[in-house]
Amino acid sequence: MEIKHGAMAGTLESSDIMVTVLPSSDGIQIDLTSSVEQYYGDSIRETITKTLEELGVSSARVEAVDHGALDCTIQARLTTAVRRAAKEEVAK
Amino acid sequence: MEELEIRGLRPGEEGQMDALLEREGLQRDGWLDYSAGAFDGGELVAAGSCAGNTLRCLAVDSRRRGEGILSRLVRHLIEVQYQRGNYHLFLYTKGAAAPQFEDLGFHEIARDGQRAVFLENRKTGFSDYLQSLQKETPAAPAAPQGAIVMNANPFTLGHQYLAEKAAAACGTLHLFVVSEDLSVFPAADRMELVKAGTAHLSNVVYHRTDSYLISRATFPSYFLKDGDQAALAQAQLDGAVFARIAGALGITLRFLGTEPTSHVTALYNQALAEVLPPAGVECRVLPRRELAEGPISASVVRQALKDGDWALAKRLVPPSTAAYLHSEKGQRVVTQLREMEQVNHH
Repeated sequence: MEIKHGAMAGTLESSDIMVTVLPSSDGIQIDLTSSVEQYYGDSIRETITKTLEELGVSSARVEAVDHGALDCTIQARLTTAVRRAAKEEVAK
Repeated sequence: MEELEIRGLRPGEEGQMDALLEREGLQRDGWLDYSAGAFDGGELVAAGSCAGNTLRCLAVDSRRRGEGILSRLVRHLIEVQYQRGNYHLFLYTKGAAAPQFEDLGFHEIARDGQRAVFLENRKTGFSDYLQSLQKETPAAPAAPQGAIVMNANPFTLGHQYLAEKAAAACGTLHLFVVSEDLSVFPAADRMELVKAGTAHLSNVVYHRTDSYLISRATFPSYFLKDGDQAALAQAQLDGAVFARIAGALGITLRFLGTEPTSHVTALYNQALAEVLPPAGVECRVLPRRELAEGPISASVVRQALKDGDWALAKRLVPPSTAAYLHSEKGQRVVTQLREMEQVNHH
């Protein structure tokens, strides 16, 4: 999927993750801020990378603010954000 | 507990927001372009706003802290900003509140002691900006390196004089042109005018300020009530950001021009003279070039253009700026100026 414009999904609440997906010309770039970064940072980044792969996204900037989301939550939020970002922009 | 409703304020609800801000020791910023609140029943328990690419005037009723209201409100404001295409967001807050915003995905750019912290939502935003400045700079800049930050609205003989004096006093001169498009002359045109008017100087490097210097994002007029205090706080925070830029590039001299008619500029110069030397940057204030009619300033040029006094305007600008003013692009700005009530803003 091609990222056409910025889109987001998720919330800033506990056990959730807020994911922003932006167009990029520079492959995949992940900026993660997490309350559990020290313990799960690498695992969250891995989940994001894998999910992007499965969705066929090869270029994107992902900004994620995590408050202890489970893997399935991360996948769901990221998938929603990517789908929104890949849609044609709605006329304003 | 009833579910909170987070939504944009409706006409007539601003009074509730003002009352909440006042209770929490904040003042409403004059430039807000969107405001939202968290309502519990009919009662406003938190409020926050947007202005350009910034989040502002965020306050939670002190009796309702610790319920996660701020994170829901911020989430709503971010969504609104994204819908407008603003993905890179800025805010500043009191030092004590910074960790709360860091928890919401904001990252510190600079701080002025404990008073104010300037944050952005992009982890590598400021470091990317510093890298772009380094890329724009030649591999072996000559010491001492100096800097000027100018809006050049439009570029006058006064700016040219300041640039010449500064360029003569340093090895490499970094010329930062204000990027924020809040001035009557567009940012791209101002940059072109600066380049054209300093083309004869061989040791000048040009940079954009993006949102990091003298921008809407660094204007903290809301948590300090007094006008002078607000301007001083802005200048101190701006100075703290500049100190980080200076550190990254090896700048040890900052040149400031006097602006006898502008009180804010005087405060700004005063604040930088306090903030920069401890960070290893010497401030040099250069007196403004004067003509018989008085000091040369961009506001005098704008007034002359508004009044249709071409003869005066032309005496105050270099030939490159005069040529621009006669061009189609320049004429468009002059027409705008004529329609403005007053031109004394930056």
